Parts: sequence; structure tokens; C-alpha cells
Amino acid sequence: MELQLEFFLLLAAALFCIGIYGLVTSRNAVRVLMSVELLLNAVNLNLMGFSNFLDPQEIKGQVFTIFVITVAAAEAAVGLAIILAIYRNRDTIDMEQFNLLKW
Amino acid sequence: MLQFFSQTIWLIPCYALIGAIFAIPWSPGLIRRTGPRPSGYINILMTFVALVHSIFALVEVRQTGTQFFSFNWLDAASLQINFEMIASPVTVGALILIAGLNFLAQIYAVGYLEMDWGWARFYSLMALFEAGMCALVLCNSLFFSYVILEILTLGTYLLIGFWFNQSLVVTGARDAFLTKRVGDLILLMGVVALLPLAKTWNFQELAIWANTVELDPRLATLLTLALIAGPLAKCAQFPLHLWLDEAMEGPMPATILRNTVVVSTGAWVLIRLEPVIALSSFTINTALWIGGVTAVGASLIAIAQIDIKRILSYSTSAFMGLIFITVGIGEPQIAFSLLLTYAVAMALIIMSLGGIILNNISQDVTQYGALWSRRPVSALCFLVGVGSLVALPPLGDFWGLAELSNTLNGPFLGILLLVNGAIAFSMARVWGLMFTGDPTPMTQRSPEGLWALVLPMTGLAGIALHLPLILSQLNLLPEFPLLTETPVLLLTASTLIGGSAGLVIYWNRNRKGAVTLGSQALQDFFAYDFYTAKLYKLTIVFAVDIISQIIYWIDRFIVDGVVNLVGLITVFSGQTIRYNTSGQTQFYVLSIILGIALLGITLCYPFFDQLNFVLN
Repeated sequence: MELQLEFFLLLAAALFCIGIYGLVTSRNAVRVLMSVELLLNAVNLNLMGFSNFLDPQEIKGQVFTIFVITVAAAEAAVGLAIILAIYRNRDTIDMEQFNLLKW
Repeated sequence: MLQFFSQTIWLIPCYALIGAIFAIPWSPGLIRRTGPRPSGYINILMTFVALVHSIFALVEVRQTGTQFFSFNWLDAASLQINFEMIASPVTVGALILIAGLNFLAQIYAVGYLEMDWGWARFYSLMALFEAGMCALVLCNSLFFSYVILEILTLGTYLLIGFWFNQSLVVTGARDAFLTKRVGDLILLMGVVALLPLAKTWNFQELAIWANTVELDPRLATLLTLALIAGPLAKCAQFPLHLWLDEAMEGPMPATILRNTVVVSTGAWVLIRLEPVIALSSFTINTALWIGGVTAVGASLIAIAQIDIKRILSYSTSAFMGLIFITVGIGEPQIAFSLLLTYAVAMALIIMSLGGIILNNISQDVTQYGALWSRRPVSALCFLVGVGSLVALPPLGDFWGLAELSNTLNGPFLGILLLVNGAIAFSMARVWGLMFTGDPTPMTQRSPEGLWALVLPMTGLAGIALHLPLILSQLNLLPEFPLLTETPVLLLTASTLIGGSAGLVIYWNRNRKGAVTLGSQALQDFFAYDFYTAKLYKLTIVFAVDIISQIIYWIDRFIVDGVVNLVGLITVFSGQTIRYNTSGQTQFYVLSIILGIALLGITLCYPFFDQLNFVLN
């Protein structure tokens, strides 16, 4: 059986769904960030798959992937900084404790 | 010069209006220092001017014949409404009657309202009435007759409500306004419906139209029924008669005017509409029977009253019923002459009894007695008035009633005889109770009135005594052979029988206490006016009241409620939906994702069948 684009896309979609599940259900804020990383990686998988199967000459997808990894790193850094800032104030990183801005 | 007074006849209503306006400054709130008397003097002067003018105009009109005037009031699109006027001997004669009676009533009021501060209001309203009635008789258009009738209805409301700090006055004025208004409104329906059919509101043209037109009988009946509804209420006919009884709460000099000429305004319109009403035999019968029932009922009620003014008010209703009968049999000329003689006679009776009320305070006839020796002038004037009111030859009303009796037959001749006898009986009862017998505490001392009361009364008594001569001068008296006809003899006999029965019963020195009928229930039935007030309360007032309460309830709870419900729903939904803003970032993320997913599914839905390649 030959590897097909659909397999990559399905895998990426599965990874994305797992990431979303983690993003929405995790109580730990760091785990939320980790889920975000999963999402980004699922995206990267998509980009790589499309790049290999549809655009093998110019591989623009791979360039996009590099940018995504870069920005994801920066985003993770900022995200951890935000979590740290919140933690300093509230002594917890439980997402359910951060519901001050409601109705 | 010969034409001057009749050419300017439109000035006659204006004189009274000028008087009405000039009386207003003497209201207690405006001129605070001099008292209100000048307002009365101005109005008497203006009325006198109007009287003189109309007398000269009558002389001219009798020589030159009927004249017509018209000016354009409204010209809009296809509708042109002219204010049309007619100066015929009859209308100018009516002007003289109105101005003359108003002149006498206003002089009478100088004496009667001696102790009253409301002259400005009173005289303004009296002048408004005079202006309205003069305009009405001059007016040759049904439309403007209606307009004037409505103004007079408002005037009645204000004049009855003169002493408005009395609660009975307030309810009486209310009933008078509403009852007459109902009639006027139905009349308006007739007036409006008449225009597309006849293309005119001019009385003469209406008569010509009515002579030639072939109307659907049902249409004719409905139209003419609407047309008699206005006069029905104005003339205080059954079943819209209660207002006149309650209108007796107003000041006496106004009563003179109302009972004689104001109620006649309805009859006037009715008489002028006679050719149109004759289109429907059903309506003619209705008018006849309304008149007949009112005449009999009201004259019997009058016998059972103890309030002097109410005795007179029911006699008025009864006499207006006779006018309805006269119009019903198609005799407008007799109706006109009856109105003339009736107005003089009734005004005289009211003046004489009003003067007695002024000095003796009570209006209860059972509180009176033995006034004959103390008030001979009032008593004689009362006798002259009564003689003119009933069919007693040779005085005023005899001639009209004699002609009427000669043209009537069957049940209506019986009604006429009965009514005439009953009025004679009730007037004899008033005579017996008030002027004869022993003095009562109320009548121990009863001085004759001031000159201002006695002068118009005696003057009017002179006119009443001369009325047959005036009628013969105007060629209004019937031919002599008529007087020997059986109905006329019966009529005279009914007067004599009714009057002498009243005198025998009430001029009886041995009589102790009140005269009672066999049955107390029957006596109460007449004394309480067939319980008309209760009847109104149980039927129309009840229905309107309950319907208005239901509508108020629907308005308050259903209509308002629907709109309030919309507001409530938005408030409630806002209150509820805000809990979506849970404060949980992850919940927001979930909603974003769900939103995107939903949007993606919606957008991609048309392409779903192309996704099959995944499964292949």
C-alpha cells in the first residue's frame, strides 16, 4: 500500500481533534499550551503533506512549516510568560479558577 | 328702504351673538368690582333690537313674499356647501316668537337671578340659544340645521349645568347632553346618507326630490327613521325623554326658553323634513305612535308628579308628542301654528309658577295652598296660560288642536282627546293644590313678585289673550263650520271634563292628605316616570358600561400584555443568555471551534458527495 495524501490529512485531523479535546478539557494551563502545540503540529503535518504531494517543486508548504514552528515557539514562550504572570498573582494554574470575567 | 330689514335678516342671529360676547367680560373673574348686571342689560337690549328688526322684517316679507339668501361656506372638490337662508312669513314669525320670548325671559331673569352672581354666564348662554334658534329658523339647509342643533345641544349642557356645585345639576346636564347627542348623531347618519340620494340639503329641493323619487322601501325606511331620531331626542319623546325631566334642575328663566322654544327646534326640523319623512309609511307610523305613546304616557306621568317643574316638563313632552302626530299625518301648517300657540301658553305657565317658586322656595305642589288670595296676578296668568294650552275656545291652542282633531281619526283622535283631557286634569290639579285650599307653612306669606317678574308675565298674558286675534289677522284660523264638527266638540268636552274632574278632586275642602290611586304600585309607576332611569341603567347604560369595562380589560391585559410580553421576553432572554459568558476561556474556545465547524459544514455541505474519494 502506497502512502497517500489522505492518510496524512486524516492523521493531521486526528491530531488536531486530540489537540482540541485537550485544549477544551484540560484544567492545567500548561497542558492547554501543550494542546495548542499539538494543534500547530497537526497544521504542520498538513502543510508538509500538501507540500510533498501537490507542490513537490516549489515546496512552499515546507517554508510555511518553518514559519509556523518559529512562531509557535515564540507563542509558547509568551504563553508560558502569561501563565507565570497569572500564577504569581493567583497562586494557581487551574483554568477553572480563572473565571473572573463572567457575565 | 322697503327691502332693508328683510335683506339684512341674517343680522338677527348676530345681534344675540354680539350680546353673548359682550356679556362675558362681566364674569366675576374678569370685571371684579362692579357686579354682573350690565351683562344682562346688554343682552336685553340686543334681544330687543333683534325683536324690532324681525317685526319690521315680517311687515316687509308679508308684502314682498318669501326671499332666499345664500352664501358659500365650503367649496371643496365636488362638494359645495352653501349656507342657505329663507325669509318667509313663517320663519320671520318664528324669529319674532323666539326673540320675543327671549326678551321676556331675560327681563324675567333680571328679577329671578337677583341674588345670583352668574349673570354673565347665564345671559351669554341665553343669547347663544337665541342666536342658535334664530339661525335655525332662518336656515334653509338640513346640514346647517344639524350644525345648529348640535351647538344648541352644547348650549343646553352648559345652561343646565349653570349651578354646577349641585350634584343633581351635574347628572342632569350630563344626561341632557348625552341623550340629545345620541339623537343628533343618528340624525347625522340620515343627513349624510341623504346627500348622495338627493344631491342637496336644501329643504325646498328635498321636498321636490321627495315628491318624484322612487326609493327602495327599506332604504327609505332606514333613512327616514334616522331623520326622525334627532327630533325624537330634541323633543324629549319616548324613550329619550328623561333628559327633560332632569333638565328641570337648571335655572327657571332658562326653563322658560327650553320648554317652549328649544324643544321646538327638534319639531321645527321634523316639520321641515315632513316631505322626506313621508317617503316611508313605516316611519310615518313610527312617528305617529311615538308621538301618541309619548303624549299619553307623559300626560299621565305629569298627573302623578309632585314637583311643579316636572309637571311642566312632562306636559312639554306630551305636547311635543302631539306635534309628532301632526307631522305624522302630514299637516306641517297645523304643526307650525300649534308650536306658536303652545310656546306662548307654556311660557306663561312657567313664568307664573316660577315666580311662585322664587318666593316660596319649595317646588313641591303638596306644600302649597291658598295662593289665590295672595298671588292673584300669578294665578290669573296661570289660568290664561292653561286656557291657552288646552283646547278651550276661544284661546290660542284651541284652534290648532281643533284643526288637528278634524283631520285625525281612529285611535289618534282618541289619543288627542285623552291627552288634552289629561293635561287639563293635571293643570286643574296644580290649580287645586297650589291656589286653593288652606294656607300651608310654605305659603303663609307669599308676596307677589318684583316688577321684573310680573311685567313679562302679564305682558305675555296679554299676548296670549290676543293670540286668537293675531291668528285671525294672519289668516291662520280655521273656517267657522269646522267648529261644529263632532271631533271639535269632543275636544272641548275633553278639556271641560278633564279640568272639572281635576277641580272636583283637588278643590275639595274636605279632602285630607294626598289623593291616592287604588294601587300604590300603579301610582309609583307613574310617579317614577315608568322607572325610565332604572330602565336606562339596566339596558343601555349597563351594556355600554360592561362593554367598556371588557374593552378596558382587554386593552389593559391583552393588548398591553402582548407588547409588554415582547419586552419581558427580551429582558428574560438577556438575563438568561448572559450565562454564556461563563468566564471560562476554554468555553470560549469551544464556542469558537463549534462556530467554525458549523460554518465549515454549512459552506462545505454542497461538496460533501465529492468527499467519497476518501472512502474509495
